Amino acid sequence: MLDIELTINQETYLLPVHPGERLYAVLRRLGFSSVKFGDEHGISGADAVLMDGKPVNSYLLLAAQADGHELETLEQMGEHPHQGWKETRGLHILQQEFVKTGAIQCGYCTPAQLLAAKELLLREPDPTEVQVRDVLSGVLCRCTGYKKPVEAVLRAAARMRGEEVPPIEDPIQVPPEWMGTDISDSIPQTRTVEVDGSTLTAQRVITNIKVSNSPDTWRQVGKPKEKVDAVKLVQGKPVFTADYERRDMLYAKVLHSPHAHALIKSIDTEKAEKIPGVRCILTHEDLPRVPYSTAGQSDPIPGPLDCYSLDNKVRFVGDRVAFVAAESEEIAEKALKAIEVEYELLEPVLDSREAMKTGAPIIHDQDDYVYFADSDPTRNLAAEIRIDIGDVEKGFKEADRVFEAEYEVPKVQQAHIEPHAVITYWDEDDRLVILTSTQVPFHIRRMIAPVLELPVKRIRVIKPRVGGAFGGKQEMLIEDVAAHLTIATGQPVQYVCTREEEFYASRSRHPMRIRLKTGIKNDGTMTANEMYALSDTGANGAHALTVTGNTTKSMSLYVGDGPYRDAPNIRFYADIVYTNTPPSGAYRGYGVPQGYWPVERHMEFIAREMGLDPLEFRLKNTLRAGEIHPFSVAWSEGRDPVPEMIQTNALAECVMKGKEAIGWDDKLADPNWASVAGKPYLKRGLGVALVMQGTAIPYLDMGGASIKLNDDGSFNLLVGATDLGTGSDTVLGQMAAEILGVPLEDVIVYSSDTDFTPFDKGAYASSTTYISGAAVVDAANKVADRIRERAAMILESRVENATILPNEIELANCCAIAPDGHAVSLEDVALHSLHHANQEQIMAVGSYVSPVSPPPFAAQFAEVIVDTETGAVEVCKLVMAVDGGVIVNPVTASGQIEGGMTQALGYAVSEEMVYDEKGWAREINFRDYHIFAAHEMPELEVIFVETFEPSHPFGVKAVAEIPLNGVAPAVGNAVYNACGVNIKDNPVTPEKVWRALQQA
Amino acid sequence: MIIEYYRPKKMEEALALINRTDPRTLILGGGLYINEVIKEPVAVVDVQSLGLTEIARKGKELNVGAAATLQSLLTSALIPLALERAITHQETYNRRQVATLAGTITAADGRSPVAGVLLALDAELELVGEGKKMDSVKLGDFLPVRDEKLSGKLITSIRIPVESTAAYHYVARSPADLPIVAAAVAVWPSGRTRVVLLGYGDQPVLVFDGPEKEGVEIAARDAYSGAVDQWAGADYRSDTAGVLVGRCLQEIEGMIEG
Repeated sequence: MLDIELTINQETYLLPVHPGERLYAVLRRLGFSSVKFGDEHGISGADAVLMDGKPVNSYLLLAAQADGHELETLEQMGEHPHQGWKETRGLHILQQEFVKTGAIQCGYCTPAQLLAAKELLLREPDPTEVQVRDVLSGVLCRCTGYKKPVEAVLRAAARMRGEEVPPIEDPIQVPPEWMGTDISDSIPQTRTVEVDGSTLTAQRVITNIKVSNSPDTWRQVGKPKEKVDAVKLVQGKPVFTADYERRDMLYAKVLHSPHAHALIKSIDTEKAEKIPGVRCILTHEDLPRVPYSTAGQSDPIPGPLDCYSLDNKVRFVGDRVAFVAAESEEIAEKALKAIEVEYELLEPVLDSREAMKTGAPIIHDQDDYVYFADSDPTRNLAAEIRIDIGDVEKGFKEADRVFEAEYEVPKVQQAHIEPHAVITYWDEDDRLVILTSTQVPFHIRRMIAPVLELPVKRIRVIKPRVGGAFGGKQEMLIEDVAAHLTIATGQPVQYVCTREEEFYASRSRHPMRIRLKTGIKNDGTMTANEMYALSDTGANGAHALTVTGNTTKSMSLYVGDGPYRDAPNIRFYADIVYTNTPPSGAYRGYGVPQGYWPVERHMEFIAREMGLDPLEFRLKNTLRAGEIHPFSVAWSEGRDPVPEMIQTNALAECVMKGKEAIGWDDKLADPNWASVAGKPYLKRGLGVALVMQGTAIPYLDMGGASIKLNDDGSFNLLVGATDLGTGSDTVLGQMAAEILGVPLEDVIVYSSDTDFTPFDKGAYASSTTYISGAAVVDAANKVADRIRERAAMILESRVENATILPNEIELANCCAIAPDGHAVSLEDVALHSLHHANQEQIMAVGSYVSPVSPPPFAAQFAEVIVDTETGAVEVCKLVMAVDGGVIVNPVTASGQIEGGMTQALGYAVSEEMVYDEKGWAREINFRDYHIFAAHEMPELEVIFVETFEPSHPFGVKAVAEIPLNGVAPAVGNAVYNACGVNIKDNPVTPEKVWRALQQA
Repeated sequence: MIIEYYRPKKMEEALALINRTDPRTLILGGGLYINEVIKEPVAVVDVQSLGLTEIARKGKELNVGAAATLQSLLTSALIPLALERAITHQETYNRRQVATLAGTITAADGRSPVAGVLLALDAELELVGEGKKMDSVKLGDFLPVRDEKLSGKLITSIRIPVESTAAYHYVARSPADLPIVAAAVAVWPSGRTRVVLLGYGDQPVLVFDGPEKEGVEIAARDAYSGAVDQWAGADYRSDTAGVLVGRCLQEIEGMIEG
């Protein structure tokens, strides 16, 4: 041991440390929770602190290296401005601006960004944007796209110089005719469609959950409110799973398979068990063999049960072999190395094209495999989809030209900066508590129960703040590891994945090989559209059926024109196959981005081949309001479909706005624009993609909320919905506040705990604002009704001879106001109800399940410069004009879109996961798996084209996932426009462009 | 796994430590690489108290202390533009605060822009061994046999000739991604031209060092004609290497003329 002296936040610590102990570990041990783990290689920068005033990554520094140096963590920067009687210095200006601008989403990387910014502003009070982006380059953020953090730093700098900064204003000027519940008369009340000889009817769906006020009087909804969790996140409070501690907590590690396909002949744990500090080692021989799916979905799970906590067979490099619990992570690591495993190697299947061939090795040959629908493990088939809408063959015959092409999309990683993390322990009632960074706490509780042989009622799942998820945590990925070890040892167990584990043992986007065939008439009318997708689910079939089923949303957008609008001809067939690669799963977009790469590349190709204007051609054939969502008659996540009518669609307006923003007409009309002066090898190009998504899963996924009135007129809003950094707690709070007539600060939002919050399906399928929001509105309306009744009672007692009807009372400005102007405060209502007369707790529960999934629509544009000598592609600008219904909070929503566009930018040009002939991953760290950093971003522009979706009380649709759909094809199309090469598989790497140019 | 940590204040102490055979003892600069990758039991000698951080122009050379950080190099305003570009390309802001120049060179692989540009500039390392015996080695001679050259020795400084004009161009999937192929070229007033390629293999490769620039693009293409790995094909790298070298030369000509 070494004795070192650290000065941390101006306090001196004399500490004994191990020579190899990381500064990160020491700081965390001392309770500095603002210092986060992001990766082992110092690329994420989430672990940053200031050392002698400079930002350094504490995970890559030995504690001994910091001996004698001055350290500063975010805990030093500022504090909550109101702490009772105690005067505080409040938040630092930088923290204030991060809160105001919406620079915080999940907040996991926020402490590191703030420290880097502080260092900059101390030495450079008037920084340029380039300087700001340079200092933020050391901190990866997967949520924001960096636009708002940069804005926050520049605004803070201005304020620190004594300058005024403009208020954060609502950027949306909503055309009044789009608001309100009346929609165009041109949309019929019902539409019918013939399906397999039967007539199905779709009806307009107008919500029966009413909001009190008309949109032009809204004070909370539609406003850029600060996030309800921003103040704690901006202080780096201990709010993430790994920040929680328990006495006698053990640390878990997992032994992973080095082989892609093998049988475990024997495991010898004797040496490992003798290592001091090792408390428990579990192998497949120790655990009950329970087949399950890791997919966090509603019951019944729409997929095969083909996972086991531990098995005697490994199916991918990274598969589980054994679990270890020890007194420290280092001891657990040492134990992993001491476990001796004898494998019998089996031939792997690594190429999806080989999976279903006769004689291919069978990956799931176990007897207890539980089938779902058409799964057939004897053919390595996890799921298959066969959907025919109309008569595709007839449509092809009616076409003047038929275009066929094949496309490919890669496996990519969610790359949330907070890795998967879980803590399990027995509580005082011997109930198992699972504290986990998850999107789906209620699904976890239901799904893990049989795996642990515990009843659901003896399990409590708590979701703290989540440091990004993007689908990667819609999974029961590691909860069982810690839980089994807690059951075995009786002790609390923490398991936090390393970044390498995130890459080789986590989940990813399904790679697909896709064939498209499209019939077109000479006037540009689409007569038929056919897609075949070969989807690679990896070693397990979680999300296999539903992700690829969701790819149909890319085929839903184009129905054709004229008679084809009423009777489109669309075919979607898919085989979802097992391979010996890490399992695929849910990733933001959930199968739809995989479809839009081929569809939008194909549309561009067709337009060019036929000499059609690419935008006019697209809009001629796209789905419109008043029409039936084509796949609603044929597909509903493996359940019986019910026809849905599109009620709002501002795609044409999105195209118009997006064209203006990117300068489409002017640039393409200018013969000089495409060239770069002095560099003839550079060519500019513009590209576009039109996209849609869904909003929730109809008739299935339910959200719940409860609202309780407190003594002071504030409210507790408990939601089962899970805020992953998306701002959902905030927008749900805004909806409640709007109805209850209070400011957002008077709504205390909490999510999620299976013991206390109502059930919610969790955060996925672009559903939270829509489904959980409607549940909140339902609960708020019930509470508002109770408040009105009591307020009427109070006012009648105060005003002589008054007769006040509760339904005429308005809730506003924290008061219940009668038509005659008499008012009672909500605080008085609360005190009256809780203490004074006819006492009752004013409280209500609301829930909601939707009969429809109203699609958001968007036009996404890209501007690129292609180096025709090297193939390098520079993306200069991305624009997204989106119809996401009413935008509840333009700051959080635009942040969602900017972050989504940035993830999609990686899908366009840099991100992919590649495996060698043994199934080993090429990308296991952020050095090789490159995600965009602050200093290399193109310009981002978001435009909201609001519509009022009548199926929701506040008119909302979704915005969370749709940004992922169109960036890659828009970039591909821009490259096509720039240099004439049609790259058919993303990412569009320099080498692919170069090779295409060589062949051109 | 680091089992011993030392922070000597005198060079003699550092040299005595690194000349031990058991445990294996390594120099710790910023620690970015050692702390990341070392799995075997080792001792480390932290050089932060040895004062090897000076950055000074001496005649036609820039003398950079081994422990000078990449960020201090950037802010010195003394380094060639090509090296500045290489530093900002290779490391982000946080890592530049810690990464030392000697550490960056010692840990360089084929995708290291900083080592590539320094190799083009014909940088030379000053080393000291037991008995304070000084030695110097050209970077080009050091990179292929780093362990051997560093056995019992410590880099004290890096001498960077600055009379040449240099350029650095690269191709990557995104502006801040590591290079798939890159070129660093330095041209001296005498016409001497050095060309380095990177993006492939264990280290940047010097592909040309001649009295004039004739044939450098061909040399570059030839040098990477077998440069195939999981990240790119050899024909692509070869062709692009020639293009990038040509652009470096063009930029250098512009700089010289301008």
